Amino acid sequence: MNEAGAEPERDQERELEALLELSRRGRLKLERLHEVLTTPGHFGTGATPSTVVYRENKLKLLRLLDESGKPREGRPPVLFVPAPVSRYFILDLLPGRSFAGYVAAAGFDVYVADFGTPSREDRFADLEYYVEGLVRRCVRTVSALTGEDQIGIVGYCLGGTLSLLYSALYPKTVRRLVLLTTSVDGDVEGGIPWVAHRMGLAGESYDNPRLVPAAEVKSWFEMLAPGSNSTIGRVSDLWDRLDDAPERLREVRTMASWVDDVVPAPGRLLAELYRKLGPGANGLMKGRATVGERAVDLTAVRMPVLSVSAEKDTIAPPEGVDAVRSIVPHAEIVRLPGGHVGIVAGRAAPALWKRTVEFLGEGRRDA
Amino acid sequence: MAEDKTHPDAPLIERWLAEQQQWQKTFLTYMDSMVKNEDFLVHLGNAMRGSLLAGKPYPTQPPPAASAPETPADDKLDQVLFALRKLEGQVEDLRLTLDELKADRKRAPRKAQPPKPKEPQ
Repeated sequence: MNEAGAEPERDQERELEALLELSRRGRLKLERLHEVLTTPGHFGTGATPSTVVYRENKLKLLRLLDESGKPREGRPPVLFVPAPVSRYFILDLLPGRSFAGYVAAAGFDVYVADFGTPSREDRFADLEYYVEGLVRRCVRTVSALTGEDQIGIVGYCLGGTLSLLYSALYPKTVRRLVLLTTSVDGDVEGGIPWVAHRMGLAGESYDNPRLVPAAEVKSWFEMLAPGSNSTIGRVSDLWDRLDDAPERLREVRTMASWVDDVVPAPGRLLAELYRKLGPGANGLMKGRATVGERAVDLTAVRMPVLSVSAEKDTIAPPEGVDAVRSIVPHAEIVRLPGGHVGIVAGRAAPALWKRTVEFLGEGRRDA
Repeated sequence: MAEDKTHPDAPLIERWLAEQQQWQKTFLTYMDSMVKNEDFLVHLGNAMRGSLLAGKPYPTQPPPAASAPETPADDKLDQVLFALRKLEGQVEDLRLTLDELKADRKRAPRKAQPPKPKEPQ
């Protein structure tokens, strides 16, 4: 065969080699996916051993246990309050990557409120039910168990809003308050209330509330995270990730098991939050927030407060979080690199955990 | 994970044949898991939606029948159920208050006993 004839043959061979490599890589990804999907992993519950110390409706109050399976009695108590529209275990995600576990290991008696999954009748739950009811009874239970009149509270996202309202109504029971990615300025663009606002939705009905389906709650979060709201985008992202090591993929799976496992939301709570604290009303910033019949006086929040925002937070924009300085002037404001979830459970999360432990520890020295 | 045992210097045709066999093995592994492991189908379905969510199906909008308006009786029943939930909370509040009172009583220093009245002589 002459040179001119050999050249196209070599081109064809190179193409076949490239195709073979492509086929091999695709197959290896599918094999890795199979391995991940068939390996039992940690998902759905907290990583740290715990015991239920209080139950009410769907709520379970968990007390974290030490390595020997015993409560950390005698240690300063801290209550974690997650958002009731998502699962609690983001705060206790994986062994070695657990915010609540880290705080417990640092010498605190840690409690986590698991609000559970609302049923149809829970669509009537409002702010008063959560703040005056569930959160208050969690605090009272912790106080009864520990004999401490004041406890530390760490509120995350909407759980931070509940914690702030509670602290304003019952300031004497809170030693120190940590607000994580808790938006207080409803007029700052971005975040969940603005998604509803921009879409021209009338909002949920307070009088005839529905149980907002999990898929709908999830769609709001997806609208705030460009790329995640299309199946093609998600599949493409997962396909790229399948080059990662199986250990890394198992971590991704645990995180996905939180991100994608949203819970239905009580429509009355959402309607109330939107009408009282959302765009326009902006009740927290304007000093007009109420819980049930009670006016919320934020000047009562005199305990030390740490507010943490995340630079790349699309769910609670940092400007709306940092605005707490104008309603709680003594609050310490910290802005950390990362997103809404990353700062509590991502690779950079230990920066937040460390600062939180320092802050809660300073509380003990004040005492 | 299946290993590709073909020598990298083997002729291209042989490597293609080996690759085809590996694909068959991979396919059979998936089929095997689908038959033996019920959860696998759920997890695979989630993966096909781009999610590694484990333990339950990826959330989707409920079918129209599921979101059909309830009857007034259903609605009233839900209101009653939720009112009971609130009552349950109020009972817990009472219990906690009683516990607090008991704890306060234990903590409070015992008041000095009043002197016994003198017996009439």
